Amino acid sequence: MASEVNLVEQKGRGQLVHRLSVLLVCLVWPLIWVGGLVTTYDAGMAVPDWPGTYGYNLFLYPYKTWLLGPFDLFIEHGHRLLGAVVGLVAIAIAITAYFKESRRWVFFLTLGLLGAVITQGLLGGMRVVLGDRTLAMVHGCFGPAFFALCAATAVITSRRWNDYLTREKATNIGSGVATLFAAIPVFSYSQLLLGAQLRHVQPNAAPGIFAMIVATHVFMAFLLWVVTFAAWFKIRRCGDLTLSRPARLLIGLVAVQIALGVGTWVVNYGWPSILAWVPGSAGFLVRAKGFSDSIIVTAHVATGSLILAVSVMLWIRLLRVRHCRDSAIERLITEQPASTRSFKTEDKTNESLLEPATA
Amino acid sequence: MVGCDSRFDTFQPNEVFSLALAKTRSTSTDLASQDASRVVEELYGTPDEPLWPDLPAAKKAVSDERNLFRSSGPVSSEKDGTHLGLFREHCVTCHALEGSGAGPASAFQNPYPRDFRHGVFKWKSTKRGHKPTRRDIRELLVRGIPGTAMPSFALLEPEDLDALVDYVVFLSARGEVERRVTAAAIDELDYGETSPVAELMLSSQSGTEGGQVVQDVVGRVHTDWAEAEEHEVVVPYFPELSGEQLAASVTRGKAFFHGKVANCAGCHGPAGDGSLPTLDYDDWTKEYTTRIGLTPDDRAAMKPFRDAGALRPRTIAPRTLGDGVFHGGGDSASLYRRITQGIAGTPMPAVEVVSESNGKGLTDGQIWDLVRYVQQLSTSH
Repeated sequence: MASEVNLVEQKGRGQLVHRLSVLLVCLVWPLIWVGGLVTTYDAGMAVPDWPGTYGYNLFLYPYKTWLLGPFDLFIEHGHRLLGAVVGLVAIAIAITAYFKESRRWVFFLTLGLLGAVITQGLLGGMRVVLGDRTLAMVHGCFGPAFFALCAATAVITSRRWNDYLTREKATNIGSGVATLFAAIPVFSYSQLLLGAQLRHVQPNAAPGIFAMIVATHVFMAFLLWVVTFAAWFKIRRCGDLTLSRPARLLIGLVAVQIALGVGTWVVNYGWPSILAWVPGSAGFLVRAKGFSDSIIVTAHVATGSLILAVSVMLWIRLLRVRHCRDSAIERLITEQPASTRSFKTEDKTNESLLEPATA
Repeated sequence: MVGCDSRFDTFQPNEVFSLALAKTRSTSTDLASQDASRVVEELYGTPDEPLWPDLPAAKKAVSDERNLFRSSGPVSSEKDGTHLGLFREHCVTCHALEGSGAGPASAFQNPYPRDFRHGVFKWKSTKRGHKPTRRDIRELLVRGIPGTAMPSFALLEPEDLDALVDYVVFLSARGEVERRVTAAAIDELDYGETSPVAELMLSSQSGTEGGQVVQDVVGRVHTDWAEAEEHEVVVPYFPELSGEQLAASVTRGKAFFHGKVANCAGCHGPAGDGSLPTLDYDDWTKEYTTRIGLTPDDRAAMKPFRDAGALRPRTIAPRTLGDGVFHGGGDSASLYRRITQGIAGTPMPAVEVVSESNGKGLTDGQIWDLVRYVQQLSTSH
């Protein structure tokens, strides 16, 4: 407890870590977009060597050849360069956290972040060196997890993280609501894994297996939408906009993601029979390697990662709010004599109790 | 899980055909199928390392054998942007490694992706019983098939398109040779529950009767492909009409559409909206259903075939002409060919072309009337 109060006093010291973390988040999402484009264009093997590019040091590869060369080379080398920048920022975060961040566990978190970006780079490199798309799928699935970790770091290092401790009003979040919010990243990531199976499907996979994965992916998409709606409904009047607004955003993001999912199917396989009523679907022509079509497919990948990151950010904030509320209650218990305690402790049987309570 | 640039050592044998053959010949086809697969692999190689048979009887049916290398194997690209593994990049998810049309995403598609191994193609400029020309396949790749999952590959480099055309021919020839060799093993080489004598064993080498049968099959299939252009349908001059002449032609075409000779309305419906119920199947489906005396709805009878990789039997529907979407192209020459040749592999019949109107066929002029009516039908909706 004392250390947390101390942290509040030291407010501002770790802001550089936070700013770098936000920068990292802002870099990683475009990195996921470019990585998605690499897969959409089957350009993963456009540069056959690693860590260099056609024998050059990554940073010394002639920029004219890169910018004016084939599109595959442009996006693959660009992906590597952006990945390297992300790695450098992750190193900067870890160093800054060592000097500026007084919470030791946060420093270790930034080390974890650095470890994750190194792992991700190695996965991408081994995918190229071994020419193995299984590793490409693992690389593609690890990327969103890393993005979510970046978002979590940004939340944890933010000023608001400490502000929750000193709020006059504590938001009362039941454990049921926390569980509901925990389900969102779990579902989101499951969806990412299922999507990766479809995107990197085996040529000799049975049509029945593919159909089963598609059906599960679609069912879970709508289930996720229902869960995000239920989660927002539970906290819509909690009085904390840092929770209710992202929860509302998630509903919209999942809706957009479902639309992008339909779009992804349409640009790959035409309109499904269930949507044959859509005007123009009977004569719709799929165009291989169309740029706008590729953007739709890649946007579906990138939005999936965004949903995961936002849901993780929201869940961590929620846990923090709960933790601060419990700490406040504990503090009151220890500070007041037993005979004068008049506050109402949380009713554990009513987990949906979300009205702001005076701490 | 492994992805689509994994390596594959072998093409899967055509088990569906083997089962259908066993049913019609009332004998085991296991040995014949096994030996046919071995011989075909010796001749045509593997998904990663394809070969093109260099037999005396085999005519050249692909334009450039290096294209087979470019199209096969795992997906990758070179420094100059040249793509390798084109078939796995663009086609395999629907058409499968063997070109069986039973790729991972095939179950959701209607119609199902084409099974190349029959050597039968719907959209072509040649006569019904003949192979398409390379130009037909290339044009199909560029045009795509609207309303289906078959994309337009117009954005691909011309060299990539040529390579894919060669690989489609390769897969089709390879698959058809496998089918014909398996059947010949049963019918001509005494394969059954036991292997035949050495002289009759299937072989990729000449010098034995078994080897000669294989050579004959390869020669026939390759010659069919190599000589496809000789069987192109000659499309007569199409007079462009307007005003009253066009209206009169369309009126005559309407009469042919509903008449006894063409009887298009019998399947496509009086309004050309494809609303009449049909219970027919395409030839690819009939092979493991009605042609061997099995009911497509009989789940128990279908189970061995489904387990072997056959897709669920699905009835074929006549095209809705009113929506203006023609899978094989809606230009007058394509429609002329479709009317005079029918559509290979489907119940769509051909109308006989006659020089004088005789009640049994249609003259070229009458067919153009019908073409104009069909085109007008699609634009009037």
